[in-house]
Amino acid sequence: MRVVVAPLRSFPSGERRIVEVGGRSIGVFRVGESFYGIRNRCPHQGGPLCLGHLLGDAVADGPGRAEVLRDPLRIACPWHGWEYDLDSGQSFMGTVAPGVRSYGVSLSPGESVIEDAVARPASAGRRVPGPYVAETFEVNVEDEYVVLHA
Amino acid sequence: MSSWVEKRSAVVAETTRSVELVDCDVHAQATEAMLAGYLSSQARRMLERYGRRTPRVTEWYPRARHAGMRVDAWPGKPGHIWGSDPELTREQLLDEFDVDYAVLEVLSGQDCYDHPDFAAEWNAAVNDWQLDEWLSFDPRFRGTIAVPHEYPDLAVEEIERRAADERFVAVLMPASAADQLGSPKYWPIYEAATAFGRPVAFHTGGYVDHRGAGYPSFYLDYHVGNGIVMQSQLANMVAGGMFDAIPGLRVVLTECGVAWAAALRWSLDAAWELMREDHPRLERKPSEYIDEHVWFTTQPIEEPEHPQHLVYAISQARLESRLLFATDYPHWDFDSPKQALPRALGPELRRAIMCENALALYGLPRERTR
Amino acid sequence: MDAIDCDVHVAPASYDALFPYLSEYWRQYITEAGIRLNGVAHAYPRGVAPAAPSSYDELASGVLDRAPAPRAVVLNCVTGFETHRNPYFAAAVASALNDWMLSEFLARDERLRASLIVSTVSTDDAVSEIERVGEDPRFVQVLLPVRTDLPWGHKSNHAMFAAAGSAGLQVGLHAWGRAGKAATPSGFTTTYLEDYLGNQPIAQAQVLSFVSEGVFERFPDLRVIVSECGFAWLAPLLWRFDKDWKGVWREVPWVKRRPSEYVREHFRFTTAPAHLPAEPAALDQLLEMLDGPDQLVYSSDYPHVHGDGLPALLDRLSGEQRRDVLWATAATLYRLDERA
Repeated sequence: MRVVVAPLRSFPSGERRIVEVGGRSIGVFRVGESFYGIRNRCPHQGGPLCLGHLLGDAVADGPGRAEVLRDPLRIACPWHGWEYDLDSGQSFMGTVAPGVRSYGVSLSPGESVIEDAVARPASAGRRVPGPYVAETFEVNVEDEYVVLHA
Repeated sequence: MSSWVEKRSAVVAETTRSVELVDCDVHAQATEAMLAGYLSSQARRMLERYGRRTPRVTEWYPRARHAGMRVDAWPGKPGHIWGSDPELTREQLLDEFDVDYAVLEVLSGQDCYDHPDFAAEWNAAVNDWQLDEWLSFDPRFRGTIAVPHEYPDLAVEEIERRAADERFVAVLMPASAADQLGSPKYWPIYEAATAFGRPVAFHTGGYVDHRGAGYPSFYLDYHVGNGIVMQSQLANMVAGGMFDAIPGLRVVLTECGVAWAAALRWSLDAAWELMREDHPRLERKPSEYIDEHVWFTTQPIEEPEHPQHLVYAISQARLESRLLFATDYPHWDFDSPKQALPRALGPELRRAIMCENALALYGLPRERTR
Repeated sequence: MDAIDCDVHVAPASYDALFPYLSEYWRQYITEAGIRLNGVAHAYPRGVAPAAPSSYDELASGVLDRAPAPRAVVLNCVTGFETHRNPYFAAAVASALNDWMLSEFLARDERLRASLIVSTVSTDDAVSEIERVGEDPRFVQVLLPVRTDLPWGHKSNHAMFAAAGSAGLQVGLHAWGRAGKAATPSGFTTTYLEDYLGNQPIAQAQVLSFVSEGVFERFPDLRVIVSECGFAWLAPLLWRFDKDWKGVWREVPWVKRRPSEYVREHFRFTTAPAHLPAEPAALDQLLEMLDGPDQLVYSSDYPHVHGDGLPALLDRLSGEQRRDVLWATAATLYRLDERA
């Protein structure tokens, strides 16, 4: 089913809409230029997933040294806080597993490789997957309208 | 002619329904403003000028998920907070899950270490608020009598004042107080509750002190610690002899988990064998007292990786007829009646937990009219 | 018992035994202030257990010379747990106790190992003492009481864990100790029975702290041996711990794995007290809930008496599992073969 959610110009980044489609409640999110559709029902205990907070991952490389990553954002169920990737619907537990730090490398003409000593935090993709997967839906822009395929 | 008679009968008839779900721990939360309305002008002035004197433990251990509440339980009405609006609670809990009875535990009066006059008024306000806003709003709500627990004489007076109203089904105590909960200091409260046929519900929370290991750093430790705290209190209740002193006393350990009970029973019994002369009041095996006097609400139900292990824990502690289902609405770790209990429990145990045990404990009607 | 006994108590009979290891200043302090061992709210009152061996001969007749002889014994001296709050006195007594144990016991029998005693009121002093004698292979772990001012996982203690690691020492987290007004959530205990059982909830809170404060992220080789606090309470605690962590992990994002995984890897538990059900079926269930006996290490807790729940549990184990509990796990844990 194709459902027109809203005109693109009235759906800025950071906003969400909840629509009813064929008896299902579905949340449509805009993050930057991307759109996501996810079932408004947490697989854990049935909470209204799409009413939750959108959060970047919290990571720490040691006790007390915590930061928040901006990207990707995950939707946290407003009940027990299970967090889901908007794109895949995969739930995650806890934080980033110990990962590899990446170091920038720069080259100067005529010289050997110089390593940029600034370490970047471990890759966000390394969170431990949880047992739940929320149903996701395709959302795209057609003729300046945001369209949900459910 | 006959069809007109049938139609009219249908309109007038009430449906009765067999009770299937009793929620034994629901939080109606009053704002300070709501309770202040019931205070004497002197007490209200004192409150406005100087505030409460007992620190709120959530300020030391901020509840790191959604400020401790379901995000969707915010009423969005002026002057209201999570759990303060009976209409929203009715919609999100009673109607959504077909709850037959919901036992309210209003924690606003606990932790009242203020002056006794104020403590008495404050807890009376909690009970008046329950009556005015909740118990008369929907017949499915039941209340618990909040008492100024640090002033047992005043607490007994409050119990006496409310006891005639059957909709108050228990007396409410915290899980930590100035003294150990089994202390004879608090026995007059338990005696009064028992005299009026009410169990005493000890609800997680209250000002929790040093604990022996010292103050933890995180809400995570504090929250898991709620189960640990109740182990300590139950040991004290048994060892202090209150079940011998008050034979009809029934206690409901609320919002502290259930799976830890077996190991504590084994330890209590083993220690009692080893140390008989230490406790002149304790005439029988500790586990026998627990068998006779203690109930548990389920939330937050433990979730072992193998659900069968929860069944083990329940049967090892002989809790089949002692577990009372609870959602703990509107807290974040709310247990959904539809999904929180594992299938491994089986239909009979499930039914006992969802309603039978509560009906028996609180003497609630098995049928209710809609 | 043909086993490695991971908790056997020794204690000086009086401060006199420590005088050879204390400066004149402290000898005078003890004498002038009339300080005695074993204060009023004592962990082991006379009615509960005889005094711990205060000499090698007493230890030999009570434990070492009994048949079958133990393979090795870890000595715990908890005298320092009730030392006063004067940090300088606490440090001096800790050193004196270690020197006393070295000379009175460890020098006399190859089978003996001991917990290293440290000040419980100063991390710096604990580190100093570990650096002073911790490399001696006869010390296998740093002794900490479960009852203390702040949970042991707290960041203020991390330097001590670093020092322990450098010296090849584990941590022995032992029952009792001294705590605030009362070692409870509310007020004073009124019976010894409650005090005795109190070590169990307190140990549980300590387990939480080691994990939530990221101790095992910082010190991945560290093992903590929970001694004389029981173990039957472990599985339900882990269920709750994992569940709550799943909701509030953001408060402690350095806890990168499920809490139960850290606990299974880093904690061991001595078997005394074994307060257990008697029925084989219930014991089998308990073992299933614990995910097997891998975390258990045998102890007699001589001369303390806790009942005899252990034989029935051992009966449920395979030969290999029994061997592990009785000595193999401890041998690996304390690196007894390597360090001898």
